[in-house]
Amino acid sequence: MDRLEKALSSAPVHIAVIGIAVLWTIPTAGLLISSFRYREALTQTGWWTVFQEPLNFAQFHLGNYVDVLTSQGMGQAFLNSLVISIPATIIPLFIATLAAYALAWMQFPGRQLLFVSMVALLVVPLQMTLIPVLRTYNLLGLAGTFLGVWLAHAAYGLPLGIYLIRNYIGSLPADLIEAAAVDGASHLKIFTRVVLPLSVPAIASFAVFQFLWVWNDLLVALVYLGGNQNVAPVTLVLRNLVGDRGQDWHLLTAGAFVSMFVPLLVFFALQRYFVRGLLAGSVKG
Amino acid sequence: MPQFSKDNLKNNESVPLQRRFAPLFLCGLGLALVTACGRSPEATDGGENNDTRTVTVLGAVTGGQLDDLRAALAPFEEQTGIRIIYEGTDAFTTLLPIRVDSGNAPDVALFPQPGLMTEFIANGQMVPIDDFIEQEQLTQAFPEDWLALATFDDELYGVWLRAAVKSLVWYNPQQFAEQGYTVPTTWDEMIALSDRIVADGGTPWCLGVAAGDATGWVGTDWVEDIMLRTAGPEVYDQWVTNELPFDSPPVERAFTIFGEIARNPEYVPGGGVGALSTPFGDAIQGLFTEPPRCFLHRQGNFISAFIPDGVDVDEQVDIFPLPPIEPQFGTPILVGGDLFGVFNATPEAQALIEYLLTPTPHEIWASLGGFLSPHRQVPPEAYPDELTQRQAEILVNADVLRFDASDLMPSTVGTGTFWSGAVDYIAGSDLNRVLSRIQGSWPDPEEGVY
Repeated sequence: MDRLEKALSSAPVHIAVIGIAVLWTIPTAGLLISSFRYREALTQTGWWTVFQEPLNFAQFHLGNYVDVLTSQGMGQAFLNSLVISIPATIIPLFIATLAAYALAWMQFPGRQLLFVSMVALLVVPLQMTLIPVLRTYNLLGLAGTFLGVWLAHAAYGLPLGIYLIRNYIGSLPADLIEAAAVDGASHLKIFTRVVLPLSVPAIASFAVFQFLWVWNDLLVALVYLGGNQNVAPVTLVLRNLVGDRGQDWHLLTAGAFVSMFVPLLVFFALQRYFVRGLLAGSVKG
Repeated sequence: MPQFSKDNLKNNESVPLQRRFAPLFLCGLGLALVTACGRSPEATDGGENNDTRTVTVLGAVTGGQLDDLRAALAPFEEQTGIRIIYEGTDAFTTLLPIRVDSGNAPDVALFPQPGLMTEFIANGQMVPIDDFIEQEQLTQAFPEDWLALATFDDELYGVWLRAAVKSLVWYNPQQFAEQGYTVPTTWDEMIALSDRIVADGGTPWCLGVAAGDATGWVGTDWVEDIMLRTAGPEVYDQWVTNELPFDSPPVERAFTIFGEIARNPEYVPGGGVGALSTPFGDAIQGLFTEPPRCFLHRQGNFISAFIPDGVDVDEQVDIFPLPPIEPQFGTPILVGGDLFGVFNATPEAQALIEYLLTPTPHEIWASLGGFLSPHRQVPPEAYPDELTQRQAEILVNADVLRFDASDLMPSTVGTGTFWSGAVDYIAGSDLNRVLSRIQGSWPDPEEGVY
């Protein structure tokens, strides 16, 4: 009887959670269904009309995906997106983790002020920086190079990264750090041997955020790298598939899922690092 | 002090670390590789590869149209050996000012409308075409009207590539024949036809105004077309420069005539609300449904790209020019168009402009369809089908040619309050309030363009 009571009392919560999840998925599901429909059907009727004849598979086709994947420059665009995204994720990750440790555990004057001013940068819209940064890049000869885009993305991602990881590292038990210090470990050793292994969940979270942001970015790549075929990322090529009057917008449905594929892979690959409770039992309460 | 045994700590750290860092090392290796070979020479803005001569072009033409553009420019590359590095993006209006202001301007830009040039010209960032091209060459290539549209401060800044004719009414001749309707030649006849369609239980007008963040341009095109027909070209020109304010009677009249169609639920499927929620590209499909959702659709020649695949273009699609309202102004034609402007007059850029003045690229693109050229030397037979030939004919025979007003007005109005004002008016807002709001948003000439 105890179990029945439990089930009954938790039922409303479950129903609410499932309800919200379903509601949240509806637009994506609609997009997925749309991506398999014919162009005429797409522009004439809503995606939900497929449920009138759910077993009629003639209303679906793979044409949109074929068009997107075989369109000119798509393979090159995927390569470009990877070339942009991977370093643009690793660079800020590396810097942010080091900075977060310093801000959390190293004693030096002005530490809090430095941290606050970095976090304050979160509210600066990146559009404000486009022209000054591009001018500087022109002087340095970085305009139109991948290095320029990596640095730009790294800089745009750092405030959030430092904020997230600093808060996580700051919440590690002081006893651990002190114990390592007492045993004679240097800051570098504490960082690599104690803090880094314990901070993997926060680092993985930020890695996913940053990768998604860079992968989906259009503006930064367009401004610093330019839009020509050899360097254009997937976002740009997809955007241009639609045509300048938007006449081929039906391709965007399939395009969305094609470009979603890589970030999803990254997300699931890092999934196993979001493990909580790594600290359980490391410190006696 | 917590009781830590060293052994414990050791066990804790030694095993998983290498495993945990393996991916990081791999990534680092990948990073090194990418850095080594990731610098593509073509990504840089010229200067590094001196063996081939290049000209950089930034434009708003993308997608299928881009293939046509490349085909039109191919002979130039073959003849001169100059490579065209083209960047196409629909974020053109955002990107170009950033590029130019940061000293990274393309040699040549393909503007979707001349209005976008004004700011660059005012800042002295563009090179006049007549600096390096003889006047005679220009007058041979383009009609006076078109040259005037690309002239600022008595200097020509643009070379036309593509024309858009907006004053067209599309209809389905099969349906017209079935119902016994005839093509109207005056505005009154057109309204009489609309009333007859309503009496027969149909809905006369297809109207779709939704266009994402550009929603409203369809409405402003209507108002501009009516304005040309009721107030005439001189008054229209004064309106573009705001000599004639938005809240003056001629503008009010044009809006009212538009409202008689757009706000009438008998004339438009779903009335004003229906028009606002229909994407502009979908509206024309109403002509081809069975029974037709609507019979008439006023839209530019570019809408042909949105005609559904199953439609027999020769049998089911035809056009007539939007008829005159005041007889003394005849049948004016509202146009739009793409034009090339020069930022860096390198020898390569000059050669490209020279080539664009020849009929060759215009004829090539014309033969591919869905394209009209303002070029004088393009013969009607260059166009692949009768429909395009008819459009070219309407363009050539226009009594008066005027450019899309919202494209010429300052962007706060032309792509801002005029658009949203048209939307508010269709949705049923009070006209006087709408017009005074647009007038109030007109930028002070003292303050520059922003």
